[in-house]
Amino acid sequence: MTLTAPPRGFRDILPTEARELRAIERALTDTFTSYGYMPLEPPMVEHSGFESTLGGDRLIRFLDGDGSLLALRPDITTAVARLVAQRYADASGALRLSYFAPVFREEPAMLGAERQYAQAGIELVGPSGALADAEALALLAESLARAGLKDATIEVGHVGAVRALFADLADDVRDLVMRELRDGDHVGAFRRARDGGMSTGAIARARQALGARGRGIEAVDVDGVTELREVIHLAREMFAGEPLWGVPNLALMPALPYYTGIVFEAFHPGVGFPIAAGGRYDLLLGAFGTARPATGFAINVPRLHLALYAAGWRPHLEETLVTLAPGDPVVTARLAASLRRRHVTVAIGTAAETAGLKVLEATAVDETHARLGDGRTVTVETLANEAATKVLR
Amino acid sequence: MSAAGRPLRFAIAQGTMLKAELAALAAVGCDVSGVTSDERRLVVRAGAMEFVRARPSDIATYVERGAADLGFVGKDVLMESGARVLELVDLRFGACRFVVAAPRSAMARSLDEYRHLGSLEVATKYPRVATEHFRRRGIAVEIVKVAGSAEVAPQVGLADWIVDLVATGATLAANDLEVIEDIAPCTARLVANPAAYHQRRADIAPLVEKLAAWAAA
Repeated sequence: MTLTAPPRGFRDILPTEARELRAIERALTDTFTSYGYMPLEPPMVEHSGFESTLGGDRLIRFLDGDGSLLALRPDITTAVARLVAQRYADASGALRLSYFAPVFREEPAMLGAERQYAQAGIELVGPSGALADAEALALLAESLARAGLKDATIEVGHVGAVRALFADLADDVRDLVMRELRDGDHVGAFRRARDGGMSTGAIARARQALGARGRGIEAVDVDGVTELREVIHLAREMFAGEPLWGVPNLALMPALPYYTGIVFEAFHPGVGFPIAAGGRYDLLLGAFGTARPATGFAINVPRLHLALYAAGWRPHLEETLVTLAPGDPVVTARLAASLRRRHVTVAIGTAAETAGLKVLEATAVDETHARLGDGRTVTVETLANEAATKVLR
Repeated sequence: MSAAGRPLRFAIAQGTMLKAELAALAAVGCDVSGVTSDERRLVVRAGAMEFVRARPSDIATYVERGAADLGFVGKDVLMESGARVLELVDLRFGACRFVVAAPRSAMARSLDEYRHLGSLEVATKYPRVATEHFRRRGIAVEIVKVAGSAEVAPQVGLADWIVDLVATGATLAANDLEVIEDIAPCTARLVANPAAYHQRRADIAPLVEKLAAWAAA
């Protein structure tokens, strides 16, 4: 039997899609660079025993030759935590790292149940405080905007403020309440808080705080809300963008347990899932032996692509592909070289896959002239003008 | 997929819960006159809202994926689906509970079997709930998934125990089964797609408040 389809959850990304992903990658990584972030490439495989940010059933695991358990990396944040502890243990000052890389996980709600997809993100290790939180937030907003996404909103919450709302509870009960809120179970969380002895007044106050969004947050009086508003304000000073991209919202509780402070997720009306998620995770690095404040975010690239596609975005990197029918080999080769020097995209022979490019068929007449499909004979200069390669940003 | 500009879409369950759902919606001021059980259209526009009638087990999926912004769905369905949605209000109707049940006459035999064979067979329509429950209890079981009545499984030797959803317990009693253990009580919930809840809070929050007040009354 010949297996021609990839394993379950993996697929070939064909040229039309791949070109669009490259355009997204270029826009995102250029924006990361403009904020002083340095690229990082951790390995695809990690020890499975690492403090995982996901449940074990979400990992794709296998055995190494010596019997140790390995996992395809489920995210990059864990790898960053590991390598900061190992390679930058003595570094003082801010560490700005970025990546655009595939991650691997069992993801029930992923498009087409994919087990591999690209994440783009940054980690800011070292600084804490409003300016650092605002930097991560502004960089996410600017990255999405420069990738071409309009109408995205970024909801900004504060895990510490939500914890403070349940301050009356014993620590172990409060941990369970926080877990239920992360799971989206408000009914269960408030029931547990009531059973745990929280007063009716405090419960009503917590319920009101979690329901508040935008300006409504101003009425919420709990530690962290002032910081939340200050961070959004600072972030909008760094990147003004479209009106109101940063919205305070205490109901925003990401599913991952390691966040400690400001958290945020990006949404777009065209997609029913968050496109990106991030926040402050000051405790994760400590699990690897080097406690350092850290914040960061990851963009789910397929979901960003989906939102862009839904909004009608189509990148046109190279508008025209010139195919040169092979005539005299030397003449054809020289004409191709001459056209490419003029930034024309040229394929010699036929092109079975054009990835949506416009195709201009031509035949070499001599080193400086080509005959087009409509019978005209033109110079390389004319042909280069007709096939002008446009790089649109 | 969700979409901007469209009316707030509300998924409600066809079948036994429909009456209670419509009563709740009417009580908080929604116009549900166009939504009735004999209406053939499954999507009904009513003012600023749109109601979609669906099978209960599909509602969690609709809301998780943003095809509907809000929905009424039983906690039992949520537990079995594992869908990531926001559970905002306990509506208190549609009460039932997940239980473990065994034949009244055969408790001693099944416990003896567990001692000797180290495992029991459990028939259920709810494999996720059953698996999670026995894993938490540390009891090794083999889950036998059935699509219809699990109550018959012990009588025909398909399984030792069952995990089932009961309202009154009358069906269990009629099949000579008794409840060994309660797993969880379940009632209907108001659920929301997280992206919709964040982005359309101004539309959704008043409904949440009114339904919470109605349910508490």
